[in-house]
Formats: sequence, C-alpha cells, structure tokens
Amino acid sequence: MQPTAGIILAVVALPFLGAAAVPLLYRVIGERTAYFAAAVAAACFALIATQFGAEGAISVRWIPALDVSLSLYVDGLALLIGFLASGVGVLIFTYSGGYMHNEPGKPRYYATLLAFMGAMLGIAFAADLIALFVFWELTSVASFILIGHYRDESGQYAARKSMFVTVSGGLFMLIGFLLLHWVALDVASVESAFRLAGEGSMLASADAMQTALREQGLLVPVLLLIGIGAAAKSAQVPLHIWLPDAMEAPTPVSAFLHSATMVKAGVYLVGRMRPLLVTDEWVLLFALLGLVTMTITAMLAVTASDIKELLAYSTASHLGLIVAGYGIASSADAHIGLLGAETGAFHVLNHALFKATLFLVAGIIAHEAGTRAIEELGGLSDDLPLTAGITVVAALGMAGVPPFNGFYSKEFLFDATYELAAHDGGLWWLLPVVAVFGSIFTFLYSIRFLMLFFGEKPEELGHVHEPPWSMRGPPLLLAVGAGIVGLGGITATAGFHLPIEEFVGRIVESSLPAGEEAHFSYHIPTTLSPPVLMSGVTVAVGAVAYPFYDGIRDGLRAVRDLGPLRPNWYYNGATALMDTNEIGPQIHNGLLRTYALWFLGGTSALALAGYVAATVSIPTFSGLTVTIPLGIVLVVAIIGAAAVTGAPSHVAGVLTLSILGFMVAIFYILADAPDLALTQLVIETLVLVIFLLVIDKLPAFYGGSKRWMLVRDGAASLAVGTTVMVTVLLSTARTPGVPSYLDHSLKSFFIERAPPPPEHGSFIIDSGGGHNIVNVILVDFRAFDTLGEISVVAMAALSIVTLIAMQQRGEI
Amino acid sequence: MTTDHDTTVIARTVARVVFPIIVVTAIALLLQGHNLPGGGFIAGTLTAAAVGLVYVIYGLDHLEQELLGRPPSVPFTDEAGITREYGSLVTTGLALAAGGGAVAILFGDAFLTQAVWFFEHVPVYGEFEVASALAFDLGVYAVVVGALLTILAVVGAE
Repeated sequence: MQPTAGIILAVVALPFLGAAAVPLLYRVIGERTAYFAAAVAAACFALIATQFGAEGAISVRWIPALDVSLSLYVDGLALLIGFLASGVGVLIFTYSGGYMHNEPGKPRYYATLLAFMGAMLGIAFAADLIALFVFWELTSVASFILIGHYRDESGQYAARKSMFVTVSGGLFMLIGFLLLHWVALDVASVESAFRLAGEGSMLASADAMQTALREQGLLVPVLLLIGIGAAAKSAQVPLHIWLPDAMEAPTPVSAFLHSATMVKAGVYLVGRMRPLLVTDEWVLLFALLGLVTMTITAMLAVTASDIKELLAYSTASHLGLIVAGYGIASSADAHIGLLGAETGAFHVLNHALFKATLFLVAGIIAHEAGTRAIEELGGLSDDLPLTAGITVVAALGMAGVPPFNGFYSKEFLFDATYELAAHDGGLWWLLPVVAVFGSIFTFLYSIRFLMLFFGEKPEELGHVHEPPWSMRGPPLLLAVGAGIVGLGGITATAGFHLPIEEFVGRIVESSLPAGEEAHFSYHIPTTLSPPVLMSGVTVAVGAVAYPFYDGIRDGLRAVRDLGPLRPNWYYNGATALMDTNEIGPQIHNGLLRTYALWFLGGTSALALAGYVAATVSIPTFSGLTVTIPLGIVLVVAIIGAAAVTGAPSHVAGVLTLSILGFMVAIFYILADAPDLALTQLVIETLVLVIFLLVIDKLPAFYGGSKRWMLVRDGAASLAVGTTVMVTVLLSTARTPGVPSYLDHSLKSFFIERAPPPPEHGSFIIDSGGGHNIVNVILVDFRAFDTLGEISVVAMAALSIVTLIAMQQRGEI
Repeated sequence: MTTDHDTTVIARTVARVVFPIIVVTAIALLLQGHNLPGGGFIAGTLTAAAVGLVYVIYGLDHLEQELLGRPPSVPFTDEAGITREYGSLVTTGLALAAGGGAVAILFGDAFLTQAVWFFEHVPVYGEFEVASALAFDLGVYAVVVGALLTILAVVGAE
C-alpha cells in the first residue's frame, strides 16, 4: 500500500500549526491548552494509524529549480517512531495538564513541546538527508529551550551543555551526509543524491553505494561522522554527559524527549542507515560503542542519588543496548544480522514503554513526596498503591525479568552476541560477557527503583497524596502497553500470536538489506539455550548482589570520583579552558572596531579564497563611457569619501559620508535607475538619522592613531573593497542556470520575461507581468532571495531589541 | 530626542504638512510598484522615514500620547508596548510573504511562484491588473516598516 501524501504531510505540519496557535489560544483557554495539545497529538496519532501497513515515498516539489523537494518516507521504523512521538505525546500533554499546574511559562512550554513533536515526526518520516538534518537540529533546539525552562543557574548550564553536545554532533552528521551525497552523485542508480529512502534513493541501491564508498575510501569517515551524530543524540559514551543534566527539565519533558523520543533519534538514524552502511567496520564500531555505553552507564546509574539521575543513566544504558543490537551483523551469516536488527527494533518499542512510564512515576513521586533523593524515599506502596503496581510492571521490564517486556529484547541481544561470538570466535567472546556484566547492573538499579515503593517508609516522608487522574492515567496506559507486550510472549508460547509481532517484524525489515523478510516472533524460552543461561546468570547474580547494593554503590562512586574518570571531566575542563585562555579576549575585547575588523576581514578572506579555489577569472567589461555629469558625480563622491577620513568629529564624519551616499543616488538617476535612486535616497536619510541618534554614545575616538593601526585599517578597507568589486563583477557577468538560448545573459532574460507578453489571456503565471523589471525581479524571479533578505531585516531588528533590552537589565 | 522644546514652530508645522504627503506617496509607490518605479521596500523605508520625522520633531512619546491617546510605554518593560506592536508587524509581514508563496504549492507550482490576473473593462481604469506579487510586496513593506521603526524606537529611547 502506498502512503497518502496529504495525510503524511498533515502529520508533520499539524504540530507546528498547533504550536503557532498556542500563544493565542492560551489567552483564551488558559490551563486547558494542555488538552488542546493532547488533541493535536491524538489527531497525528490517528492520521498515522490510517497509514499503518503503508510503505513508500511521497514527494512535494519545493524549489524545482534547485532540485529541492520535501520527500517523506513511510515504513515500519518510520511508523514506530511516528507512533511513539504522537502516542506518548498524547499522554505527556495530558500529564502536563496536571504536572505543570503551578509552573511558570506555560505558553512557551506547550508551544515548544508541540514544535518538538512536529520535528520528531519530521525525523521519523524524512526521506531526504537535508530534511532529516533540519528536523534533527530542530529537536536539539526544542530540547535546549525545554531543559532551560526554569531559567536558573543549573538549568542554563544543562541547557547549554545539551545544545553544545547534540548540535555539534549534528554538524558532524551533516558532514557525513554531505560525503554521502558526494559519493551518491557518481552512483548511476541513485537519481536524487540527497534522497535517503524511496525509489532511486541511496537505500534502494545500498550495495552500489557501499562499493562506491569503499572505492573512494570514505566508508570509515562516513561511518564515524554519522556515528558521532547518533552518539551525541542518543547519549552514547563518551557523549552521554549531557543526558543526566538534562533532567533539569520538567519531568514530562524528561519522559518525552529524554527517554521516549528525542534520544531515540540517534538510534533511529543507526537503524535507518544500517542497510546502507552495514559492514565489518560497522559491527566493530556500533557493537562496541553500544555495549560499552550499556555497561558504563548502567554502573553510573547505580551510583545515582536522585531518581531522575538514575533513570537518565539507565536511558543511556538502554540506548546502548539498542545501538549494540543494530550494530551486530555478520557478512557470513544473515541470521546474526537478523537477530541484531530484531534486538534494536524490539527494544526501541519496549524501552519507550517502560522508561516513559518510569519517568512519569518519578514525576509523581517528586510532585507528591516533594523529594527525588533515593535515600529519603521508601515504602511508598501504602500511599500510592496504583503507582506501585505500575512500577512493578515497568521496573521488572527494565530489569529484564521474565515475562516482562524488556526480557524478550534482552534475550535477542544475548542471542545475537552469542551467535556472533560463536561464529567469529576470538575476542568476540567479550561481547556476550560484557552484555551479561552490564545487564547485572541494569538488574540492580531496576530493583533499587522498585524498592522505593517497598520496605520501610522513612519517618520524615509523612503521608503522600495520590496525584490527580490526569497524572495517573498516562503511566497506567503505558504500563498496560508494556504489560501487553510481556503477555504476548506468554500467549505466543501457547501458540497464539499477537499482532505486535507483525508490527515489530515490519520495523525489523526497515533495518535489513532490501528484500530480506523478517518473520518476527518472540516467546518464553522453553528449552535451555545459551541466551537463556545468560539471562539466568544475570538475574541470579543480580539477586545475590542486591543485598550488598549500598556497598557496590559506594565502591563505584569512589571510582567515579577519581579525576579523569568523572563523567564531566573533559567537558568542564574544555569549557574552563575556553574561558581562561589568552586568545578569547584578543578576539572579543568589547571594542566595536575589533569585531568589525575580524568580521569584515574574515568574510573577505573567505570570499576571496573561494574565488581563488574556484579559479575564476575576472571578466572583462567594456562599453563604459563616462559622460560629463557622471564624471562630476563620481569626482564629488571620491572627494566626499576622502574627506570622511579627515573629519574632525563623528557628526562631521557622518555628514560627509552622506555626501558619498547621495552621489551614489544621483549616479543611479543618471544611469536610469529610479527605483535604486529612490531607495538609496531614503536609506541614506534614515541611516543619517540613526547615526545621529547613537553618535553621542560613542567615545570621541579621533586622532592619535598609531601608524600600524592605520596600515591595518587601510589593508582591511582595501580587502573589503576588492572583495565587493570582484563579487559584483563576477555575479553580474555569468548566470548559472539560465538556458543557453537566452544568450547566457541575465539582462535579456529579465527584459524578455518581466513584462506581460503582447498577447496574453486574463491570467498569466509564466512571466512577471510587470513593467518595472527591478520590482518583478524582487518579488517574482528572485522572490526567494527577497524572502531571505526580509528575514535578515527582521532578525536585525530582533537582535537590536535584545541587545538594548539586555543592556537595560544590566546583563552586558 | 524625547523633548519637544528645542524644535521650532516652522519645523513642527512643516512636519505636520509633510507627514501625510510622504505616507500617501509611500502607499502610491507600493501599489504602482509592479509597473512603475516603486515597490514594497522603497515604500517601507519611506514610511519609516516619515515616522522617523515625527520622532525627531515631536519626540518619541508624542506618537503614543497624542495620536493613540494612551500613556507612553517604555520599551520592553511593558507587555503591550509600541515595540511589541512593531514586532507583530514584522511577524505579520514575514507570514504574509512566506504564506503567499506557499499558496502556490497548493496549486502544484513551485514555492513563491507568482501569477497575474488582468481584468478588462473596469470602470475608470480600463484594463486593471492584479498581481499575486502584491501580497508578497505587502509582506516586504510590513517587515521593513516594522523593523526600521523598532530600531528607531529602541535606539531613540536609549
């Protein structure tokens, strides 16, 4: 079944439209905006549900002249992420209605959360590398805003850190994408070199792409670059450090972004790229990365003293499990690859179900008990019986205890690592060992979380109230979902297969080489096999070790606090270095002229270097005759320019400068360009006014310049002048993209196309239809440029307002 | 800048007379832009210059105090200050320009494709031309006016 273009587009667009409506809506319906947002999410969920079973790409032309189109792709994996983003979204918005009751900044919160959901749906369905990248960074920005929601010191630190790690990871990924694009240009069967999935895409000709990548020697660089992007987003070691800090965000945000969806973007990318890049290097990179992350962060989770910190590290650990699953494959035995893909795909689903539940439970505890410290909590099941029941299902799923949902996907991981080790031997035997070792810690912290509800209740805690139903319903639903997945294994053992298996099979197929089918099925093991033994060891050792939990925790803490082993050691060290080094104050010393120098010099150097690199030759121009009026204007302009340098004060300088401006305006009149002349005149006037407004704020910085400063400024002026002149000459000489029948001349193209043709109907679309060619260029032929320009104008106004507002508040 | 004591009667009278003329000229430039000199950008800067004239001659608060009949708002401290209104002008303009461009996609054309309609036998005008580019130009006009006036207001208030 082919996806319906309109529906998929609506799914991606709806959350953004909803986000735009939130500020207005909030004024009308206030707190109930939460339920509006939940309704938007529910609509998206329903729309995605209609596409269940669809597979294929849709494409909307966007800018055909540049071969830019918005392409979306639907398959099992895309549907899974889509269902998670919208489905968990419904629950999170409902929960927020209760949780955010007395919190500040709610319009911003709901608008950002909705926009995030749209971006996440965009990632899920993007079939185009650029679209994927844009949505990817949008989720990072949304995460930044939401982590910094409370605007306190630690929140700002956390928000900056997550932005820094995930966005720079995204930039690595972008370079990886560009390399992929560059290789794809030479692969004949790839029609559109940015297309990732669908017909004529990279994934459709994965083998040819892989051969080409290897021939160019780019396979490993692309793997590493994309790996860094995925690892930064999915908090893999050593880029996991931002995730625990991200817990500064309100708890519903942690449940939504930092466990169920945004951090899944990284593993989604790994799963999506898998058919394209799976090789021996892939296995080495991702299987190792995943298992190392899984183990280290599971140990860190044991050291946690805060329930959200515990859950954050545990999230990184489970993402490691997913990455390891997707990482495992073998060129010799397709069955191992199948097991790996099954691990990844199934655990994405399972983890979202139990971890989002646990975060919501943590929110309930923090909200009702007033503390998140593990030490201060215990015996909550008396006061919160329903929540305790929910936690039993979710935490035992996280621990990997049969028959709860996490058990099955962990079985697949054990099976995959064992098979790979049995097949390749040697050091690969470390994989199953590490997998079991890491899982023991997973078991330990899962039980520790569960024990918040049992055992003795600390005296100070007092009576804990049940939260409102809007906060109890969402985790209950999620836990029921997790429970059903767990039950599916029991019924499958009895011979009755739930439709979940069919769905997960489709997700698995997204990560398998084209044409391979997955007949996914899971059940309680009935015979003793190596993976069963591994699970048995995990649970048994975990159960034996649990009574010594405090000792283990203190031991791990002691190791963790050793200098370079501290999780934030390199991040804090690097940022401190950037603050204290000598170069910074040289570049930004607070003097406007220094900034101008760096900015203009840098721009000129880049532009000129670009011209040199492209080995352009400066075109000759002829036919320029200087008439007497023109000559006078030019001479006056030059005199005015020269006089500026000798002006005794700022006011005199500005006034003299305007001579130059007005002469340019007259030049335009003489050159029959009334539009330009008008604009130049008005702009000159306005600039004069603004200059005069700010001038008394400037210091009287005239005279007394040193010789080297004069030389430096002269060189900078010369460089800027040269750049502008070369750019003008080059950009007006040739017209890329204009058909040859138009004589390669920009001028004749515009002259022919701008006015309405002599014979025309009452409706024309293919020519400008206006006699003012300048205006037609601005609003029609080059409208996209103009759109960019007015965006810049708006941005400039915004930054001026921000700067002055910050100054008035005394921040700078 | 915020005082109106040091401007002469001549300046204030001229400003009163000139202001509407400039604004009408600006609107004319905006509307005729497709076929004659003019367009959204010029019209926008001209309008901003006209308001700038009022600012220079009468002071910043005059506009709000005398013309809008409300207490002058110090920028950024007030939720509904004049800079907010300029800001929403910018937003509207951007939305108009981009949204108008997106309409073309609904008809299956590329983003920002513009069309022209000709109406024959319109009284007074004869043939009358309506370009969809006018919507885009209006967007440009709004952005330019809003942004320039924001800058004038906040820099002037400094």
